[in-house]
Amino acid sequence: MTTREFGDIELRRVREFVWEIPQEGEMNAPARILASEALLEQIGQDKTLEQLRNATHLPGITNHAICMPDGHQGYGFPVGGVGATDTTDGCISPGAVGYDINCGVRMMTTNLTYEDLQGKEEELVEALFEAIPSGLGGGGVVEGDAETIDDILERGMQWALDEGYATEDDLAHCEDEGFRDDARPEFVSQKAKDRGRNQIGSLGSGNHFLEVQRVTDIYRDDVAESFGLEADQIVVLIHCGSRGLGHQTCTDYLRRIEKEHKDLLEELPDKELAAAPAGSQLAEEYYGAMCAAINFAWVNRQLIMHRTREVFADVFDRDWRDMEMRLLYDVAHNIAKKEVHTVDGEDRELYVHRKGATRAFPAGRPELPPAYADVGQPVIIPGSMGAGSYVLRGGDESLGLTFGSTAHGAGRLMSRTKAKQEYWGETVQEELREQEKIYVKAQSGATVAEEAPGVYKDVDEVVRVSDELGIGDKVARTFPVCNIKG
Amino acid sequence: MGFTLREHTADVAVEADAPTLGGVFAAVADGLAAAMCDEIPETGERFSLSVRAESLEAVLFDYLDQLIYERDVRGVLPVAHEADVNQTGDEWVVEASARGVPFEDVEARDVKAVTYSEMRLEATDEGWEAYVVFDV
Repeated sequence: MTTREFGDIELRRVREFVWEIPQEGEMNAPARILASEALLEQIGQDKTLEQLRNATHLPGITNHAICMPDGHQGYGFPVGGVGATDTTDGCISPGAVGYDINCGVRMMTTNLTYEDLQGKEEELVEALFEAIPSGLGGGGVVEGDAETIDDILERGMQWALDEGYATEDDLAHCEDEGFRDDARPEFVSQKAKDRGRNQIGSLGSGNHFLEVQRVTDIYRDDVAESFGLEADQIVVLIHCGSRGLGHQTCTDYLRRIEKEHKDLLEELPDKELAAAPAGSQLAEEYYGAMCAAINFAWVNRQLIMHRTREVFADVFDRDWRDMEMRLLYDVAHNIAKKEVHTVDGEDRELYVHRKGATRAFPAGRPELPPAYADVGQPVIIPGSMGAGSYVLRGGDESLGLTFGSTAHGAGRLMSRTKAKQEYWGETVQEELREQEKIYVKAQSGATVAEEAPGVYKDVDEVVRVSDELGIGDKVARTFPVCNIKG
Repeated sequence: MGFTLREHTADVAVEADAPTLGGVFAAVADGLAAAMCDEIPETGERFSLSVRAESLEAVLFDYLDQLIYERDVRGVLPVAHEADVNQTGDEWVVEASARGVPFEDVEARDVKAVTYSEMRLEATDEGWEAYVVFDV
């Protein structure tokens, strides 16, 4: 048997790309890491494996705690982590969702080609940067009063549709049609609502961005056709989450768990894994609040997409409908959902926590919208601003291996403090423009340095592992043209 | 005394020390400001805040969370922190103040939240040390 050791953790190779930390001591299940040798070497360099092992202590964790190929150290639960817990005798963990509830990505297709855009890159990046709120204190597309916030929390993209910021077609191409009907705005604190009020329709900063991209490669012609993707086409990728409202919601419930379920918390090896027992009042309230924050994030991305359409209409002097600017799909990668999965031949309802992991359901799952019911859901994997991004489709093996999940990005390799020592924002911008024809505009040069392409893992390798395991199949690759960030 | 930004794969960690408990709280908060901004201007008015919680770690967590909240709702970057920490009955209380630099005066980036991950708050021979990871 092939084994690898990282500190006090021994991994056993189960088969190609599948490694296991065997169950021992207080662990409630084994842990699995899905990675090539090269990715495993990187995953083993920080506390990812320790955090994954800690995650197996969650009550009711089913099969395995799983690390995706892009996994890296987070807080509590690792980023790139998937953990399914029983909704009857398990738990729900805000720490296994993360602070940025429904951080996610959406991709909008167009009928423009790269040739149509060439010569307009500078104008487009400036116009997008001007129109789309980003950074700290940049405001939002919409300034919300208390009633607006509650409406958004309750109805998600249905609110956007009623207000003229979305179309029926947008809702039909969003995970859960853009709203969770389990949302309970009354369980979102006033503090969280206060923070959300002036951030509705804003990118934020950190690794969040809006990118205009061109499709460079198609790997599966039939699926790409179903997704409306073709070579040389211009698409737009939007990556952001639920802003301060979601961050505050997670914080509030972590603290409430600490006060109300101290006994459970004391059994866990890391306070950031804080979990509420399934069936408890607090579990119900957190689930309702989290679903409301999920709705907020979908509206956030929708408003940014709406603004993007307006900017394209100005820059190309055409109605956005004539440019066929359609939402391909919107996927969450920080979320917990009640889902039914087959475990040991039995259908069970589980809270599937995906923290830095993307749902990747294959054809046939009832949750998929009609447009993708026969082909599998689109999965969007953003790369760094100097590398390609990918569109995958949910793979047939995902249900058996990962509760229907795959990676969410390239995965970070270098710390932000080190990145600022290694890179200078303006130099990164100049090099990207001169060598790669990528136009980057950011509120802060430090953000550009912190997000330089060299701080990320090799997204090609992450996607190769996903594809070869059959959890997310490669459909298309895109390359950046314009990028704006906070 | 003061703070240092420490490496963390995805987020930012602040390590701080000070002769007093209030001093180390303020130093961590200064580290939080440094994680959001490289050059701090001299503008802005001071504001006060008061936080109470059931334990010392919890009150540090709540103090930093409150600063992030104040940042978002006041539209300012809290800097130049001062804090006083005392135990009252079963509770720990932080009486603090900060200067709020208006966002329009500063080039700053977001820190999403304070975390308990790897949090350390310890008395030493010289005073107090703390280590806090923030979600970026």
